[in-house]
Amino acid sequence: MTEETGGQERAAPAPAEERAASAMARADLIAALVFIVLGAAVLYGSWTMPRLEARRIHPLTVPGLVPGLLSAALIICGVVLAVRAARTPAQDGWRTLGAALVSQQAMRAGIVAVLALVYTLGLVGLLPFWGATALFVFAFILVFEIWLAEPRRTLMQSLPWAAGLAVFTAAAVTLVFERAFLVRLP
Amino acid sequence: MFEGLGLLAGGIAHFLTPLSLFNIAWATLLGIVIGALPGLTATMGVALLVTLTYKMPPDQAILCLMCLYSGAIYGGSRTAILLAIPGTPASAATTLDGHPLALSGRAGLAMGLATTSSAIGTIVGIVFLAFVAPLLAEAALQFGTYEFFWLALFGVVISGQLTAMDDPLKGYIAGILGLLVAMVGMETLHAHQRFTFGIPALGGGVDLIPAMVGAFGFAEILGVMKRTVHARIVDSGDRVVPRLGEVLKYWKTTLRSGIIGTFIGIVPGVGEDVGAWASYAAAKRSSKEADQFGKGSQEGLIAAETGNSAVVPGAMIPTLTLALPGSAAAAVLIAAMFIHGIRPGPLLMVEAPQVLYQIVAILLFSTLAILVFGLSLTKPLLKVLAVPRERLMAVVYVLCVVGSFAITQRMFDVYVMLCFGIVGFILREMKYPMAPLVLGIILGDLLDLNLRRGLLLTNGDPTPFFTRPISAVICLIIVFTILMSIPAVSKRVRSLFTRNGKPGTAAG
Repeated sequence: MTEETGGQERAAPAPAEERAASAMARADLIAALVFIVLGAAVLYGSWTMPRLEARRIHPLTVPGLVPGLLSAALIICGVVLAVRAARTPAQDGWRTLGAALVSQQAMRAGIVAVLALVYTLGLVGLLPFWGATALFVFAFILVFEIWLAEPRRTLMQSLPWAAGLAVFTAAAVTLVFERAFLVRLP
Repeated sequence: MFEGLGLLAGGIAHFLTPLSLFNIAWATLLGIVIGALPGLTATMGVALLVTLTYKMPPDQAILCLMCLYSGAIYGGSRTAILLAIPGTPASAATTLDGHPLALSGRAGLAMGLATTSSAIGTIVGIVFLAFVAPLLAEAALQFGTYEFFWLALFGVVISGQLTAMDDPLKGYIAGILGLLVAMVGMETLHAHQRFTFGIPALGGGVDLIPAMVGAFGFAEILGVMKRTVHARIVDSGDRVVPRLGEVLKYWKTTLRSGIIGTFIGIVPGVGEDVGAWASYAAAKRSSKEADQFGKGSQEGLIAAETGNSAVVPGAMIPTLTLALPGSAAAAVLIAAMFIHGIRPGPLLMVEAPQVLYQIVAILLFSTLAILVFGLSLTKPLLKVLAVPRERLMAVVYVLCVVGSFAITQRMFDVYVMLCFGIVGFILREMKYPMAPLVLGIILGDLLDLNLRRGLLLTNGDPTPFFTRPISAVICLIIVFTILMSIPAVSKRVRSLFTRNGKPGTAAG
């Protein structure tokens, strides 16, 4: 909180909030376009969906009826969102949005997603489940404790925990699910 | 009436076995721990526990899930008070007064009051559940195809409206997206496969559990790991067990918050967070010490905690009688009940009336467990709060993968979890609420089937949808809700009231 606004907090939005709002307006615009395209695609899919004439069903009970109505509603909401977002004054909106997409926060989320995808789509299936799990837990803890943490931990501090938890998780999950619940793990 | 009491006694007696009591103890404690850990929410906990309980007998499985649910809603208050971070979204309002109380050296009092308020809130909700649910179930037997179509639509619309207060449009979009997800797969009227693109696994549609694990598990992990904030635990070591006078001092607020929470719970898809905020706002409006709110008011803390806990039994009312989930976690419970062969809906009271009273009994037992654990395990729970999230989240993700895989044992469900996690994370970042999306997935089939079946029954004539009395009322509420969410319309309606009457009377 700056000194000028210290006394009256609600007088004007702080610059950071204003920037976030203008970035959100731009993000809304992109999302609205995505919704309109998605809505149009579903509408097309519903319109061209078989009407099962051969089975003599009532024309108002065709399978495409509800998806069609829903996609129309999505298009309407998308248009309203787009118009509203385009009308919102958003100074530096695109630049702030771009900055948010390459910020440290976005990078952290991106790294979690990459680790998760590599584990789920790559390692599981390639390695036995316990091996893939141990590797994932080990890598996850090391990445976030040694590289992306503030303050960072040293390798010696983190390594025992990462290795221990990796082995423990892999063993516990495998034992609990395969032995106790008789689930065949991927 | 007496039959109900007999069934309730039967429900309580049913769970007075060593195994049940053991399950109550561990599930409630696990719930409290999950609630207390920031980033682990009640919905996520329930969704992950479905996997671990699906080999259990139905009554024990539901027992574990319900105890975890109510434990987690309570557990979030611990983190809110000591760390100023809500452990689950439900305790966001608790942070406002709970943390200032802790900072002023009364952390013990705050934790104690949060515990007793949660217990009282649940009990108020339980009373309503026991009395309102049978009546509603009886009324619901009159509902036909037309009414169920409107109810499904009402659920999605009202959830969209109330979970995205500042921007209902985003709530509606989330609801429509959920309904569209439900359109994938085999439809039930003509057995036609929609939007499956030749993928056999899509034929059965998108399962709710993997979708929920993605939207509330993986998406939450991404959201938590994104931030680098570190909070400091504030603890003062004062007396935790509150005096009776402290608990009863604000009895009016307690009662009011319990009732508000219950009603918010009854509204489909509107959960504990809204219950807490609504009770908090109502308490602040009518309090003599309104200026103390946000600075460590005991009344504010009591209102928030009573309000969020009363939502849990409240949410079970539509869940059990109409199969409309009262909150996001209740949506998982519905899916779990179907897995175990219990079919919630109007016929539940006819087919298996004991289920309702067993759930009432479960909630009573879990309230007792919360009181015992909450007031005694202060120090061990402090240790839980110190768990580093880097280590925790890695393990939680592994559970998300196993949890979505284990039920039907196919990798397709894991891919569904991944998709919902990433898309859910992006939508959350853009302030789209998740509850209407989930409600859409669960209600999509109900809406689709009942609209087309209604049209089939009348040979294409839509008039019964508008002329049957209950249908007409629900339809009017939906139209009114949507109209009031348009800023231009709501401004005009409000100005009408303020011009004709005094502004104060219009509000009261």
